[in-house]
Amino acid sequence: MTDAEIPPEGETPPEAEAEIDDIPIVEPDPEPEPEPMPEAAAQLLAQLEKELKDGIIEAGHTFGDLVVRVAPEAWRKAAEVARDKLECDYLSFVSGIDWMPAPKVGGDDTEGDTSTPAQPTETTYGVAGSDGRFQVFARVSSTSRHHGVTLKVDVDEDAPTVASWVPVYPGADWHERECWEMFGIGFVGHPGMRHLYLPAEFEGHPLRKDFPLLAREVKPWPGLVDVEPMPGEEVVQEVIPE
Amino acid sequence: MGLVEKGKVPKPLTWLLNYSRKYSLWMFQWGLACCAIEMGAALASPRYDMMRLGVIPFPASPRQADLLVVSGTVTDKMAPAVKRLYDQMPDPKYVISMGSCANCGGPYWDSYSVTKGIDQVIPVDVYVPGCPPRPEALLEGVVLLQQRIQNEDMAERWRGEPIVVGG
Amino acid sequence: MTLDFRTEALLQKHLADARINVELETEGMVLNLGPQHPATHGTLRVVVKLDGERVVSADPVIGYMHRGYEKLTEYRTYPQITTLINRIDWLSSFANEVPFIHGAELLMGVEAPPRAEYIRTILTELSRIATFVLFLGEMALQVGAITPAFYGFRDREHVLNLIEAATGGRFHPNFNRIGGLKIDLPSGWIDECRRVMKKIFDSVDDFEDLVVGNEIFEVRTRGVGVIPAGVGAAYGVSGSNLRASGVDWDLRRDGPGYLVYKDLDWKVWTHADGDSFARYWVRMQETRESARMVIQMLDGLPAGPVMAKVPRIIKVPDGEVWVNTENPLGEMGYYVISKGATGPFRTKIRSASFSNVSILPWLLKGVYVPDIITILASLYFILGDIDR
Repeated sequence: MTDAEIPPEGETPPEAEAEIDDIPIVEPDPEPEPEPMPEAAAQLLAQLEKELKDGIIEAGHTFGDLVVRVAPEAWRKAAEVARDKLECDYLSFVSGIDWMPAPKVGGDDTEGDTSTPAQPTETTYGVAGSDGRFQVFARVSSTSRHHGVTLKVDVDEDAPTVASWVPVYPGADWHERECWEMFGIGFVGHPGMRHLYLPAEFEGHPLRKDFPLLAREVKPWPGLVDVEPMPGEEVVQEVIPE
Repeated sequence: MGLVEKGKVPKPLTWLLNYSRKYSLWMFQWGLACCAIEMGAALASPRYDMMRLGVIPFPASPRQADLLVVSGTVTDKMAPAVKRLYDQMPDPKYVISMGSCANCGGPYWDSYSVTKGIDQVIPVDVYVPGCPPRPEALLEGVVLLQQRIQNEDMAERWRGEPIVVGG
Repeated sequence: MTLDFRTEALLQKHLADARINVELETEGMVLNLGPQHPATHGTLRVVVKLDGERVVSADPVIGYMHRGYEKLTEYRTYPQITTLINRIDWLSSFANEVPFIHGAELLMGVEAPPRAEYIRTILTELSRIATFVLFLGEMALQVGAITPAFYGFRDREHVLNLIEAATGGRFHPNFNRIGGLKIDLPSGWIDECRRVMKKIFDSVDDFEDLVVGNEIFEVRTRGVGVIPAGVGAAYGVSGSNLRASGVDWDLRRDGPGYLVYKDLDWKVWTHADGDSFARYWVRMQETRESARMVIQMLDGLPAGPVMAKVPRIIKVPDGEVWVNTENPLGEMGYYVISKGATGPFRTKIRSASFSNVSILPWLLKGVYVPDIITILASLYFILGDIDR
């Protein structure tokens, strides 16, 4: 056992206790300084701004990747610009995000499912922000220039529709079908919207945060069960006197 | 055979029928997911050869098979197809549920689209646990099934009574 | 001209048949390559409309293996998700964990030690070899040759032995931890690995002699299922499929620089044709290349710990990250959105086979029925990767 080996969860050999307690826990900085955008991303952003002008609402970057939020009217134009001007010929994916925090398993009164990670209770948005609950985001990259960009667009919660990318990237066909099926977001101009993964009789849009996982509601996962009682120890029923 | 259903088959003949049945299982592999790879390794790789147990894989259609090995996750979309193919197999037929996804839903127990175990749809004879079970585990499952077939009473099976092995 | 009565009767019969053919409507037939089919690598259903032997339109129906991964990740902690995502591409399980773990490490600001990165790369390349060796055997099986399939499974066993010795599981190793790996390599593993790589070279040479030089294989695969480079990229086809169409793009070399590929001396293989033969050929060369890479890495394996110091309960800070790597099937990526909890807020799993199969409606037009099987085999998808 090397010094740096972390023992599996639940077990701690005594001599390693002290070492683990000495490890400084990485606490996230509550108000981090916004890092400057890397050079390559800034260039891409400049090209996008030149073409889309008002279409860009906000831009950000994560770990070297450019993330741009565009207005809903400019969604298809953004795809064309990415394909023609930025030479992004390769479509990675098109999908959706639901920013609403998930309701507690079993309702607000219960303790909830203690084994699942505690989800946030307030709605916060990610890089490049968001206008509401739903967003559609897509990633395109260039096979020749080796760069890529993530585009996001806000979707109105009451009338969730967005322009379809199928005329620009034919591969978006299936991605948009999946997005509709999982989130309920419609795509204007899609050749034929129908179920992709789920049977035709399925009701609901599973990836929405208010879609419950019924198996967890019925019987929450008990969590870590360490040791079961021995057969004689378990008290099943009080002895009923005659 | 009318004799079999009426329960009038003498013991040596039952033994012979069961013996020949258990060593000539034709396996219709229902390879769905990762367990299918382990099943393929058990069958097609010379290391864990399943043919030495008499199990011959890859019959051309379910109508020529008598063992169904459900290996992998069964989704709600796929379950009707399983039921239909199971119904197409002629009696006597046996089912091995391989892997925890086919046993009980496995790691996807809380998913919205997974059937929690193939025994909700078809009757299962042997459950092989594991994720994925090693090919040796599948071989043990087949051996257990063969023991079960050997001790089987055909008349009870035709009448639909539950089979009790080992007393 | 008068004919004798026998010829007259025959002539009248033929004319009657001709009239019937004109009057009958011969529509196309709908053939259902159902979810259970020995040649579809799993539960893929392709509904093809045929005109005689030619395909008029093809519609793949997927979802028979949809397990709801993206929803499940919202209810699990990061180590639990590592267990789960092994099973997306179930042939090369180790390679599925790597981008996700990298994403979590980037968000946390943790760097795995160099030895861990080397071992991760070695295991990823071993997964690639295991997958491709099986492909070399299976594609030959789909085309009609049965022997290579047994060779494929047999040679895969050698590599699975290695992976099992290092990680404990033949596949689905669940070996990555945020910050490194679970445990160091056992003693004697490096020499065994070298021996196995020699075996892999011999085995790929076997495949080359047996399959690639075979006239029947060439006739069945050359010119079948040609994917032009532009169309492929627009559909999102990636990996060896795109490289077989001439696109020189490999995320191991051109990506952001995860794992240790930049320290190695290796080559990206492309082929200009874009047909099924090219896809087979590219994967064959990549198997050899992976074996060469593994030998280089074994020679240059640094000493040191395999796990960085991370807290016991992993809490990943706020942020979003996109990580994509070159998996054996193509580009696999994870877009992880984290809100500071012990589990992610949303994970978008970008799997390679989903896009590879989305090109089928376009690709299968005008193709003969046996060629459908060849094309499906050459695209090499895994159902868990398509449906997640």
